Amino acid sequence: MSAPMRSSLLLLAVGGSAIALTLAWQHWTRPAIIDAERQLQASQLLAVLPAQSYDNRPLDSALPLPAEQPQHSKVLAAYRASHGTSPTAIVLVSQVQGYAGPIKLTIAIAADGRLIGTRVVEQQESPGLGGQIADPQSGWLNQFAKHGLGDRWAIRRDQGDFDQLAGATVTSRAVIDAQQEALRFFDQHRSQLLGASTHE
Amino acid sequence: MNRFCLLITGLAPLLGATGTVTHALAIAACMWVMILLHQALLGPLRASLSGARYWLASLLLLAALGSCLQLALRAWALPLAQTLGFYPALICLQCLAVDMLLPTAGRWRHLLRHLSGLLLTCLLLGAGRQWLEAFAGMHLAHLPSGGLLVLGVLLALYNQLCLTLTRRQGKR
Repeated sequence: MSAPMRSSLLLLAVGGSAIALTLAWQHWTRPAIIDAERQLQASQLLAVLPAQSYDNRPLDSALPLPAEQPQHSKVLAAYRASHGTSPTAIVLVSQVQGYAGPIKLTIAIAADGRLIGTRVVEQQESPGLGGQIADPQSGWLNQFAKHGLGDRWAIRRDQGDFDQLAGATVTSRAVIDAQQEALRFFDQHRSQLLGASTHE
Repeated sequence: MNRFCLLITGLAPLLGATGTVTHALAIAACMWVMILLHQALLGPLRASLSGARYWLASLLLLAALGSCLQLALRAWALPLAQTLGFYPALICLQCLAVDMLLPTAGRWRHLLRHLSGLLLTCLLLGAGRQWLEAFAGMHLAHLPSGGLLVLGVLLALYNQLCLTLTRRQGKR
């Protein structure tokens, strides 16, 4: 066999084994990648709850949602966190139209109807202005913790109780609306969300 | 091969992915694995392939190695893979350059020495940038441009150190 022929064959063998190796590696790592993505998503959704406040796996069982939706926002999913047998919190995944696109929030509500916390899962707001809602250092979302339906859910400019993000009025109003509607949603469907085991 | 060649060929990952010590360690480990595996796999091919065929084989191997590295990062360190972004894939360019720049005699010795230097630089850069951002409050250090400044300072210190050492030896 001539030398060019032999080197061509060798090149072919190298290419074939490279492709085969990549495909085999992809096949082998696929379950691990799916698992890792699911875990990452779960940790993003549940970051809003304090770790010691529940001992079940809320994401394993999504609660059935009532047909009626709030006016401005949309509740995409609801999960129940419980400690022992008593439900401690409900996590609502809510989507609301922001300034530049939809904002996806996780809103945790305690069994007594007060907000535990809110986290941003997805947003496309202007960086530096509305985008600060997703920045943990800005701390803007922390002001809503422990507030319930009794408060005036609006920014101070609209005679409400809360500060707005500077330069992002539309985003601030949207997020505040979404939280108020989530609280109202929880209030309306309280027994269904918390399960039949609570008699209050 | 000049001792700074490896640094320059891997400048993009070196500056882009060394924001903290963990990231610096991860990208340095990726560089070690990619460059060593690439060289090890190319070693037996060098005698029988030449010219365009050799380059094609090198590129095919790099494509496979790069894909496997990205998949492995996604499978076992997904948050890290997301922060490192496309920088692990850019190491492929560094591998190509290294393969061209290494001398024919004493290849492995040269390579290992340079890789150790690279690891040390990565770690120093990562530690320096993390310290500057966290304790000195210089948020610029977290950006790639800040990384370039820190790298410049490190190189200047290194040059100064070399100069002092040679002077001292000269006096003896």
